[in-house]
Amino acid sequence: MNESRRQIVWLVVFMAAVSLGISPARAAANQTEDLQAFGRLPVSAEGRVKPFDTVARTSLMILSGRQTFSAGQENRQPAVRWLLDVIARPKEANAYKVFRVDHSGVLALIGRTNEDGKRFSFDEIWPYQAVISEQARLASQVKPKQRNAFQRQLIRLFRNLKLYVKLSAMETPYAVPPLAEGQQWRPFSEVYQEARQGGDPHPAVEPIAMILKAYHDGKPHLFGDSVRRYSRIVAEQLPQETRRAGFEVLFNRFAPFYKATVLYAVGALMACVAFLLRCTQRDGAAAGWSRVLGNAAVWLLGVTFLLHTAGLASRVYLQGRPPVTNLYSSAIFVGWGCVLMALLMERVHRLGIGSVTAGVVGFTTLIVAHNLVGDGDTMEMMQAVLDSNFWLATHVVAVTAGYSATFLAGFLAIAYILLGVFTRLLKPDMSKAIGQMVYGTVCFAALLSFVGTVLGGIWADQSWGRFWGWDPKENGAVLVVMMNVLILHARWGGMIKLRGLMVLAVGGNIVTSWSWFGTNMLGVGLHSYGFMDSALFWLLLFVVSQLAIMGVGAMPIRSWRSFSETDPTRSGRVESGSP
Amino acid sequence: MNPARRMLQPLASLKLTVVLLALAMFLVFAGTLAQVHQGIWVVVRDYFRSFVVWIDLQHFVLGELARVPLSIPFPGGFTLGSLLLANLLAAHAIRFKLTRRRAGILTLHAGILLLLLGELTTALFAKEGNMSIDEGSYANFTENLRRVELAVIDPSNPDHDEVVVVPQPMLERADSVIEHEQLPFSVRVDRWMHNSSLSRRESGPAGGGFTVTAGFGTRLRADPAPPVTGVEEQTVDAPSAYLTLSRGGQTLGTWLVSLYIDQPQEVSVEGKVYHIGLRFEREYKPYTIHLIDFKHDKFIGTEKPRNFSSLIRLVDPERHEDREVLIYMNHPLRYRGETFYQSAFKPGDIGTVLQVVRNPGWLMPYGACKLVSLGMLIHFGSKLATFLRRARA
Repeated sequence: MNESRRQIVWLVVFMAAVSLGISPARAAANQTEDLQAFGRLPVSAEGRVKPFDTVARTSLMILSGRQTFSAGQENRQPAVRWLLDVIARPKEANAYKVFRVDHSGVLALIGRTNEDGKRFSFDEIWPYQAVISEQARLASQVKPKQRNAFQRQLIRLFRNLKLYVKLSAMETPYAVPPLAEGQQWRPFSEVYQEARQGGDPHPAVEPIAMILKAYHDGKPHLFGDSVRRYSRIVAEQLPQETRRAGFEVLFNRFAPFYKATVLYAVGALMACVAFLLRCTQRDGAAAGWSRVLGNAAVWLLGVTFLLHTAGLASRVYLQGRPPVTNLYSSAIFVGWGCVLMALLMERVHRLGIGSVTAGVVGFTTLIVAHNLVGDGDTMEMMQAVLDSNFWLATHVVAVTAGYSATFLAGFLAIAYILLGVFTRLLKPDMSKAIGQMVYGTVCFAALLSFVGTVLGGIWADQSWGRFWGWDPKENGAVLVVMMNVLILHARWGGMIKLRGLMVLAVGGNIVTSWSWFGTNMLGVGLHSYGFMDSALFWLLLFVVSQLAIMGVGAMPIRSWRSFSETDPTRSGRVESGSP
Repeated sequence: MNPARRMLQPLASLKLTVVLLALAMFLVFAGTLAQVHQGIWVVVRDYFRSFVVWIDLQHFVLGELARVPLSIPFPGGFTLGSLLLANLLAAHAIRFKLTRRRAGILTLHAGILLLLLGELTTALFAKEGNMSIDEGSYANFTENLRRVELAVIDPSNPDHDEVVVVPQPMLERADSVIEHEQLPFSVRVDRWMHNSSLSRRESGPAGGGFTVTAGFGTRLRADPAPPVTGVEEQTVDAPSAYLTLSRGGQTLGTWLVSLYIDQPQEVSVEGKVYHIGLRFEREYKPYTIHLIDFKHDKFIGTEKPRNFSSLIRLVDPERHEDREVLIYMNHPLRYRGETFYQSAFKPGDIGTVLQVVRNPGWLMPYGACKLVSLGMLIHFGSKLATFLRRARA
């Protein structure tokens, strides 16, 4: 590669790095230094010590589906300002349109229609509070999985109102830290009440009250001073919690997974173009450019992967837990594992197909993760029975890595089928290489998913004396193992060749998506969910698409464009023989 | 080729392996879907611990889009499991040689063998029960949550109760009259409800038109409920029954017994008082377990449990044991072939519920897991090494 082309590669990586820096800078412009300092104060909510900033973001997310809000003409205001307004300037806060209501039935209850917008203020909704409570009481008599869209939205609105009231009264989060031996985190409302009734005042009451009063009175200097004074007290008593909370604010603002999503998409696009150029132009200037673009894509994806890794590591540090603790984090981890393996393959084979897969899978899984954020904090505490770092680190990680490997094999197989059937780009050497990749990945997937599944059984035996209970989640896991084992035996027995391997590997996608998501959806009535926006819809769509690809892949080899003019028998067979 | 080999040939084929795996996958999938409508233990019995299962095709219909009143026969878990075992053994008998190259596969297949046998042992011999103990009290029996019994208790002796129990299968036979020399009366089951809901009776006759004449049932009504399914919060069926008791051809009255009614109901027979009640089937133990202290920690400001633990005292006069043990999450007590797990708690944290399991095969999966993992590592590892060596060359 000559010098100018090398410079282009570095330019791309540099631009990626710059783009990483942009959004925290922009968010910071909207947020004064003192507001940020307030956001870093540690509090306890849902059993976890976290900064005010996280509480503000997750609460606002629950209410409005966004992490920023509009205060009159000022758009994209930080969540922590909203929370402070809710607490200390209720008059202003009650006019912010932060309650999201979509369902026309629920809108009708508060005297609105779809034309009035999607978000409403507390002042607009509160007059209908009695009607909402009554309807919520009726709806809550239906089992959660059986509720219809109206009932779900209504209960949600009811809970959101409750949350808002609790936030404004400072009943949640538990804002008063344990500043002396034997103390616990407590809500400010309670501690403040005690102090007013003449009890021995908690040392945190006066400084917190001062912060809120200064904010209420609109005295920015006094507010800043009070926040700094109080932060010092807390940092002295709770140095570790303070450090973590500070780091978490950084993590929130930096939003590594959001950035990685964008960068993966860019990387995937670059890798695709490079791949197409490479396949169509064997030499000349275009081939040279394809190499430059391909290298830039690999570098960009590598940097993005590091970002992804940093995000994952931050979560591990903040939670003090292995990377996978819930559905959201499993999606992040599945993506991470896939990208890692795909990039390693790119290093071995250098065909460009590894980078394309890394970009596409990284992007897709992070989008899936984004849609799994659900209600509130993604770093929730674990139920007692799940509270075991050892098993989370072994069983859950192994099973999730098994999903990664099965998906990776499936996506490589999709690339193989689409390239082979619809283009002339799948040359024999590439066909052979992808064949090896898929085969190797399936072996790896079989190992990981088996070990993960059996470790789960052993955990269950340790926890309640039942190695295997045939419950939906366990069955889902064992199906992934069996699918991989089936593919391998079919391959060894000569029942399938390359084409069959690819078709079955795509089938692995179906089994894995069933195990990952489908088993959670059992018992959900069709009538009860807003079908089109539900995860079930997306799962079905995915399954149908995979079946369609399997159907395409099952077409006789002579109808594949890549093989139609060459000798069909040669391309359809694995050269290396039975492994 | 000798005739034995020729006979084993088809049984050892890889094609058979693949077909069996595919069938097993379908069975597991069907057995998962069935849990939307049926209890998990019914599904385990019918699908995974059976030779043939009739799979209801309705389970494959999304929601209630269509009615498919059809079921198909399918090989059950025992059939597929034993065929897979036979396939594996036959393959090793005629195809695999004991060589270093095959070491990985041999190890891993030995592990699979052990795993399948372990599940078979569990299916045949494992027993599970619950032991619930209030704080400061003790228990010397376990309860089988999957079956109930009708207990008829003679409390007249101050030292101990005389108990006669009628097991569930006898109660399930509708309209039969249960008579036994040890029973002080005959029992006719007017209506048996495998799962039920209980409500206050406003007016009119009780559920199903039965008139309850005695006991708590006069103020209550029981209605049948669908069996609990594998995807619900509630995990245990709660049966109820209307019983008419009589002695010497003379009717004593009609009672409502239910798992929901935990107070004994009185039956007076010729001046002598008996207690009756429906309860989980019990198994008595030669030792007692006293609950000294039960702890239930929650995460601050939430209802999410953080930890449960039971400090118990184990008293076994036969074996001269009398010691304290702390049982908590992931730290069970193993004693006399049984294992005691912290399982649940009683409402208001007044007591603990321990799961008691006897499974002679409990160690087999541990060995199996090690063998299979090791085997796969050896096999795939050597393949990968070869591949990378070639790629570099």
